[in-house]
Amino acid sequence: MPDFECRLKKYRQLKELTQEQLAQQVGVRRETIMRLEKAQYNPSLKLAVDISRAVEAPIEDIFIFP
Amino acid sequence: MKKPSVKFTVILGVIVVLLLAGASWYSIMFNDWRLVARMDFEAYEFLSKDLPMLGALLLFNLYVIYLGGLLVWAIVASKRRLAKTKTTRKMDPRLGLLGVFGFFGFVGFWTYSAFHQVYPFIFFVFFGFFGFFYEGRMSGILMDERYVENRTRAELAAHRVTVAALFVTLLVVARGAILGNLEYTLIAVLIVLSLTVALDLFLSEYLLYRYDRADQLDEGGEG
Repeated sequence: MPDFECRLKKYRQLKELTQEQLAQQVGVRRETIMRLEKAQYNPSLKLAVDISRAVEAPIEDIFIFP
Repeated sequence: MKKPSVKFTVILGVIVVLLLAGASWYSIMFNDWRLVARMDFEAYEFLSKDLPMLGALLLFNLYVIYLGGLLVWAIVASKRRLAKTKTTRKMDPRLGLLGVFGFFGFVGFWTYSAFHQVYPFIFFVFFGFFGFFYEGRMSGILMDERYVENRTRAELAAHRVTVAALFVTLLVVARGAILGNLEYTLIAVLIVLSLTVALDLFLSEYLLYRYDRADQLDEGGEG
């Protein structure tokens, strides 16, 4: 299990995006977004950057590693 | 070019098998088992009564070639679709029922004792087709990076198990003979190899499904 905190849900809701919409924007399945929001999946750098661009928030604010 | 339907292929197969069965019956009843029982083809002389069996054999071979063509077609189409859509191949989970053919492997014990034939043991490989059930449940989904990661994990785990099974088999058969009989050793190797291939096929699909769907019940919807 990845050991980090994920604040994607907060930023996604701020942008008023559904999980499905965000998943389509970044080219993954909705299940992957769910896992990310629960910090159960450690994304690749490319996916993290794509998500950061989609929700318009810095990567380090979305994925917080201790 | 339109892809032939499964129904057409199955009906064609049934017709060809029925024709072959009919021609075999004709040969057994009226043609002294010619072309059904083993015969010396170097001394073969054509008889008009051979025609039904020759025709049925020709059709059967053509059908096998047709099936081979379909297989190539399916592989090419699958690769094209993969490059285009990046989704898993479409598959009906009911195809997992093909795994039942694995039980034909047990026929090998009878054919060995009756005719010294061991090839039916290879049917144990079909047990691996039970994995189609899990592949079917994940058919047509987007292959995103998490899927690819899970696929790699599942295949690695499956390969580890099967390599371990092969290693243990190697240690056992390297002793020379099972029950003091080299033929039994060959049979044991054949069975283990077939079951190992089946296990690899099945496990890689099952584990992929498990990794992908783990905690599914626990997953929330939109938040």
